Amino acid sequence: MTAITEAAVTQRKGAGGWRWSGRIFLLLLLGFTVMPMIWMFITSLKTGFAAMQYPPQWWPSEPTLENYWRLIDPSGSVGRDFVQYFLNSVWVSTLTTILAVVVAVPAAYAFSRFRFPGRTFLFFAVLLRNMFPAVVFLVPLFILMKALGLVNTHGSLILTYLTFGLPLAIWLLKGFYDNIPVQLEQAARIDGATRFQAFFLIVMPLSTPGIIATSIYSFIGAWNEYIYAYTFLTRHDQMTLPVGIQRFFSENATDWPGLMAATFMMSIPVVVLFLVLQRYFVRALTEGAVKH
Amino acid sequence: MSTVQGQAIFRDVPEPKRVGLRQKVWNSRFDYLYVAPAIIVMLIVIGYPIYYTIELSFFNTPASLALSAKQFNGLDNYVTILTSPIFWKVTWQTVVWTVVSTFFAFMIGLGAALALHREFAGRGVLRAILLIPWVVSAVAASYVWKWLYHSDFGAISAMLTQVGLVDKPINFIDNTSTSLYALIVVNVWKEFSFAMIMLMAGLQTVPDTLLRAAQVDGASPWQRFWHVTFPHLRGVSMVTLLLLAVQNFNSFIIPWIMTGGGPAGSSDIWITHIYQLAFGRQRWGVASAYAVILFIVMMVLGYFYVRALTKGDDARAAT
Amino acid sequence: MAQVVLKDVVKNYGDVYAVNHVSLTVEDGEFVALVGPSGCGKTTTLNLVAGLIPMSGGTISIGDRDVTDLDPKDRDIAMVFQNYALYPQKSVYKNLAFPLQMRKLPKDEIDKRVQAAAKTLDIVHLLERKPRELSGGQQQRVALGRALVREPRAFLMDEPLSNLDAKLRVQMRSEIKRFHQDLNATIIYVTHDQLEAVTMSDKMAVMNGGFLQQYDSPANVFANPVNMFVASFVGSPAMSLVPLTAVTKGTDVVLASPEGWELPLNAANAKKALSAKSNKVVLGGRHSTIKVHKAQVPGSVPGKVYTVEPTGDVTFAQVFVSGAVVNVSVDPTFLLRPDEPVFIEFDQNRMHLFDGETEMALKLAD
Repeated sequence: MTAITEAAVTQRKGAGGWRWSGRIFLLLLLGFTVMPMIWMFITSLKTGFAAMQYPPQWWPSEPTLENYWRLIDPSGSVGRDFVQYFLNSVWVSTLTTILAVVVAVPAAYAFSRFRFPGRTFLFFAVLLRNMFPAVVFLVPLFILMKALGLVNTHGSLILTYLTFGLPLAIWLLKGFYDNIPVQLEQAARIDGATRFQAFFLIVMPLSTPGIIATSIYSFIGAWNEYIYAYTFLTRHDQMTLPVGIQRFFSENATDWPGLMAATFMMSIPVVVLFLVLQRYFVRALTEGAVKH
Repeated sequence: MSTVQGQAIFRDVPEPKRVGLRQKVWNSRFDYLYVAPAIIVMLIVIGYPIYYTIELSFFNTPASLALSAKQFNGLDNYVTILTSPIFWKVTWQTVVWTVVSTFFAFMIGLGAALALHREFAGRGVLRAILLIPWVVSAVAASYVWKWLYHSDFGAISAMLTQVGLVDKPINFIDNTSTSLYALIVVNVWKEFSFAMIMLMAGLQTVPDTLLRAAQVDGASPWQRFWHVTFPHLRGVSMVTLLLLAVQNFNSFIIPWIMTGGGPAGSSDIWITHIYQLAFGRQRWGVASAYAVILFIVMMVLGYFYVRALTKGDDARAAT
Repeated sequence: MAQVVLKDVVKNYGDVYAVNHVSLTVEDGEFVALVGPSGCGKTTTLNLVAGLIPMSGGTISIGDRDVTDLDPKDRDIAMVFQNYALYPQKSVYKNLAFPLQMRKLPKDEIDKRVQAAAKTLDIVHLLERKPRELSGGQQQRVALGRALVREPRAFLMDEPLSNLDAKLRVQMRSEIKRFHQDLNATIIYVTHDQLEAVTMSDKMAVMNGGFLQQYDSPANVFANPVNMFVASFVGSPAMSLVPLTAVTKGTDVVLASPEGWELPLNAANAKKALSAKSNKVVLGGRHSTIKVHKAQVPGSVPGKVYTVEPTGDVTFAQVFVSGAVVNVSVDPTFLLRPDEPVFIEFDQNRMHLFDGETEMALKLAD
């Protein structure tokens, strides 16, 4: 009895110290995390002149939304291009996502449920893809795209985005299917469903959260992709945002407030998507790695 | 009258029926229909490029990428790489970049996961905010940090000067001795929350009863962490470390946008180096040979990666 | 309803045999329990009957049809799963209707049958709920209902009661038995709980290590277990088994223990003991056939009390006899203390003898 009380007391004392150091750590980490984001936003409210001051204005003396108006005003040349980049990004990311999910769903299901010869090898191949950087594929894909006449088209991006989108989607979805009890399909098959009906009528509806999560991942991955877009696209009307916003940057006369406004705008869709669907997002990621 | 059908001890166990591979493949022909689309796409966009990279690595291909004019040159490309001093410099920088980034991302992530494990007001919001760097594009992160590091108007230098830690602005990224480490900070900022989220999920698998039992046994918080919590995190830590290491080894955007590998190659790592060789200097053969070497290194790492990810996979019931 | 016949059924994964040449016939309207410890192959056998996993050898027929190569959907069977396997996204009504929809029955016919099944199982008020809003017992009923609505040729049940708490289990046990009687249904019922098998089934098939050990009525399995495994698996507390040596002394045969005591056998038992492959013989007795004495009586053997468990009506005790544990039961008024020396008397007419080498029951040649 005494031992327990003593233990409880020391525990409480110890825990207090730990909790405080935990809080301080979190506070510092929060500062580290948000400081760049806040500075991005503050800078985007400055005029070009106000940004180029030393010491910097920690809060702009004359905050302005001018940089944002410039980006979305289709009558100016900057606005026209930016809106075009934005639409290109939406288009490419959406199409990549749909393709990746449609192709990955049956494959992930098969990897989860069936034990066909070559399954292990093929699944390893899928997982291994995540190990290789885009650069390994870049030269041959560049040659392939040139041969297919796809350079400077969105087709080249969508096709190459599947190189990372598809394996990731298969892996994430397999994690979801693994967690759906196999007895449900067995019950359905006994109830008169074919194997495909059991999958389509019973399992598919249950894996909706997984499909949502996988879609977000594919979308964000495609939205943020840089290296293929940077290599395959040279025409402004085809560029996606990560490549397009480079035009604000030049070694000598970078328009920092404009650039910060553009990065801010570019980040909004993924951050909003993430915040709204956070639950699915986190679950999908950890499903495969943590066994409950 | 009872009937004895079989008796485990006496009945001769018959020879197992051997089913030929061809028969097995035929029996599962419908299973292949499910994976066929994925496999076809992957063959085109992954299999073919890998094959082609290997082929190109043995050839000298003109800058114009006129493939008809490529010439077989055996292992020349590989010799060029391994005898070049730049190769070893870049390799060392890649190791530093990968190891240091992975270590700090993991440790910060672990600290955050532990601090966030206990329920408190605002925990969900805090977690969401900490995750934002991980979802924003590396391109955005690179530009923002490039601006923070700016040699004339950078906010970091300005802050340090105002606090009085330094007397004149520091040049973080245009400086051969600091550029690599300045980039590592950005990288850690970008991905520590990935480790955090993985480890938070891992922490949920630590049974409460075990922690309480340890508490009753008089274990201090540190002892509880070390003897109860940590062993439960081993599996997820392995996966997380591997994923981080692979991700870091494959980094391109942050160094490419922020420094382009410079100044004077001081922040050049493998991927940026290969990109520069291929698309900057059109040395397709050498770049491909680099990619093949990288491929081999990755296969070794990949073995552990796949093992960690598929653990327990075959225990799952099949229909 | 129909007869189910398994002929030489085999399921192997490489060298591992989950089901090893099992043959048995389930008559039309019979309730058969497949029982055995976990990993004995009972669930695999059931899944083979259902067609959920491919067989490695043998044939299965349901009614007059050979279903060996048929899909589960074409076998016209229903199955109740241990975790119920209710479709979580569908309401109870839709769960019950699903098998009928799959068979493309007209809508009003589906509704009629669903309502009827719901009425039988007293779940009409639950029809609009989702499975997760139901208690374990209610889910169990819905699972039964989904099996019932189709009027299949046979019901397969895979440990349907093991997820319920003890009280509910007893209640559902009698309901399933009632269900069997009312429908005159052919049921194959998998359980690891021998008590469930004994109380519910017409016949029980005891399995171990992939082999069918014994297939008979519970009473016969209980009275005449074919081998030591069946003897020790069926009955609670289990049959006690004491390994001894058979020795011929003149015209008598005795079972001798290493400690030196001897148990003389009557003529029938002596004949049995001598038919063993070697002189190793295992003596088996159920608690109800064993008497406990405080002093030595003829035909009794010495032992030492280990634990005493009063249950109210009867007191169970475990007694060490020649190194083996023997379960006995005594009247509550008969007081026993741990470590007390006692004398155990086996009923010669109801004792079991097993061959110490083959583990098979020793029988009189007829």
